[in-house]
Amino acid sequence: MNACKRYMRLYRVLAAQFFKTVMQSKVDFLMGLFGFFFTQIMGIAFLYLVFDQIPSLQGWTLDQLIFIYGFAQIPRGIDHLLTDNIWLVAWRLVLNGDFDRYMLRPMNIFFQIIAEKLQPDALGELLVGAILVVRSLAKGIVTVDAAHVVLFFVSVMAGALIYTSIKLFFAALAFWLKTSGPFLQVAYQMSDFAKYPTEIYAKGVRFLITWVIPFAFVAYLPASFFLKSGAGAGVIGFEWVIAIVFWCIAYYVFNRGIRVYESAGN
Amino acid sequence: MGRLLKIYMPFASNELKRQLAYRGAFYLFIITSLFSSFISYYLWMAVYGSSGQGVLGGLTQNEMVVYIFMVYVTSSIVTVSLSTWVSDDVVQGTVAMNLIKPIDYRLSLIAKALGRVSFQFLAPAVFVWIGLEIYKVTVLDMAPVSVMGVVLYLFSSGMSFLLFVLFDFCFGMIAFFTTYIFGLRMVKEALLGFLTGQLIPISFFPEAVQRVFGFLPFSSMIYTPVMIYLGKYTGRTLAFMLLRQGIWVLALYGLGSLIWKMVTKRLVVLGG
Repeated sequence: MNACKRYMRLYRVLAAQFFKTVMQSKVDFLMGLFGFFFTQIMGIAFLYLVFDQIPSLQGWTLDQLIFIYGFAQIPRGIDHLLTDNIWLVAWRLVLNGDFDRYMLRPMNIFFQIIAEKLQPDALGELLVGAILVVRSLAKGIVTVDAAHVVLFFVSVMAGALIYTSIKLFFAALAFWLKTSGPFLQVAYQMSDFAKYPTEIYAKGVRFLITWVIPFAFVAYLPASFFLKSGAGAGVIGFEWVIAIVFWCIAYYVFNRGIRVYESAGN
Repeated sequence: MGRLLKIYMPFASNELKRQLAYRGAFYLFIITSLFSSFISYYLWMAVYGSSGQGVLGGLTQNEMVVYIFMVYVTSSIVTVSLSTWVSDDVVQGTVAMNLIKPIDYRLSLIAKALGRVSFQFLAPAVFVWIGLEIYKVTVLDMAPVSVMGVVLYLFSSGMSFLLFVLFDFCFGMIAFFTTYIFGLRMVKEALLGFLTGQLIPISFFPEAVQRVFGFLPFSSMIYTPVMIYLGKYTGRTLAFMLLRQGIWVLALYGLGSLIWKMVTKRLVVLGG
């Protein structure tokens, strides 16, 4: 319990430092935010143009697809906000030996990595996600009752954990490969597949994004639970199982990686 | 001309060599860039399946397959992040070194870009292209592209390349005013995805929007060469499209020179 309190206090201290740097360069912050926000808006504009041609896509209406799209942004944004520093491990912290500094402090190493940086650009994604989910609520296409509201937050957290696990796993490969940025990039980009109903993909692709790099569990599968009344809540439970399994694998690999880390330089 | 080549070719060949040295990372990058092509492929197949119509936005389902993958090939010939090079040079101050050398900074960047796209084209794009042609003939039952079609396509893509790098040079000039162009670059990429026809054929936009796009240089970057490849332009339309590309190349060249003159006047570089 004490350890938990200590880490929470540390996180506050580190995050406060970070906010100071953000406030120092407000323009940069606003431009990054705007950049991510704008990119997401374009994704929606694309859907509108496509649906100009068709009434529904394999049984899904435009409003439903917009909900899936928006819902997908929220776990993505949460992970992006909190754990963006993992990218640096993949790209250069291991390669240039800067990872040393984490090994020297008496704190959990993963904690140090994520506490070092908050990524305010992610607010752009969260904003778009929130707007689109609220829009769907106004349209009355999502089921709203106490259970669904609670499960919404439960699912979003599991989704963010899946994102973090996938990032951590591929970043940890850097301990063996020195830099694993490109691999992480490939894996992360797979999440783009999950923005649309997975039924449109060929079997192999569907298998890949459901079971190997399980982004379907972040976006499409839970989102469809909120859309269809009467669908089982089991999918959210399953999302958590997937999240925990992938987290354990990623964290295990990460810890093994730390043991083979040999720093750099002469 | 010969002298120019002698001065600027090393920039191109050096970039090519650098790319060859780091090709591992590059191949993975290729995989990710093909992802989005495959996502649009599956999405469009589902769209055509759901529409019950053979032709959407003036393209048949088979033509759409060609469109999607030729967009991939074309963007590897055309797009290169020249503005990143400019902003790196400005932020690190190395642009000063380029100012004192007796070379044209912009030409050296374009030569470097040429080296980069040669690699992008040779390493993966040409194989995607050949694969597409084989797929077209064996599975889709379409006629292979004519020699004339290839020549016109490559000519048009070459102009698109010039158009793109000249535009991106102008965009990179923003780095002289703010050091954080990451956000702006994202906006640029998202916008270009639409304006160039990369995400969705321009014929899918409402009539009025299409007319506005006609007055912008962006549709000439990717949409025009791909439509030429599909054989959608013939005779006078074709000549007009190529002429429009040429005019934009000249216009953006002029604009770039103008901005460059303006910013170098007020440039301050610290240290030495």
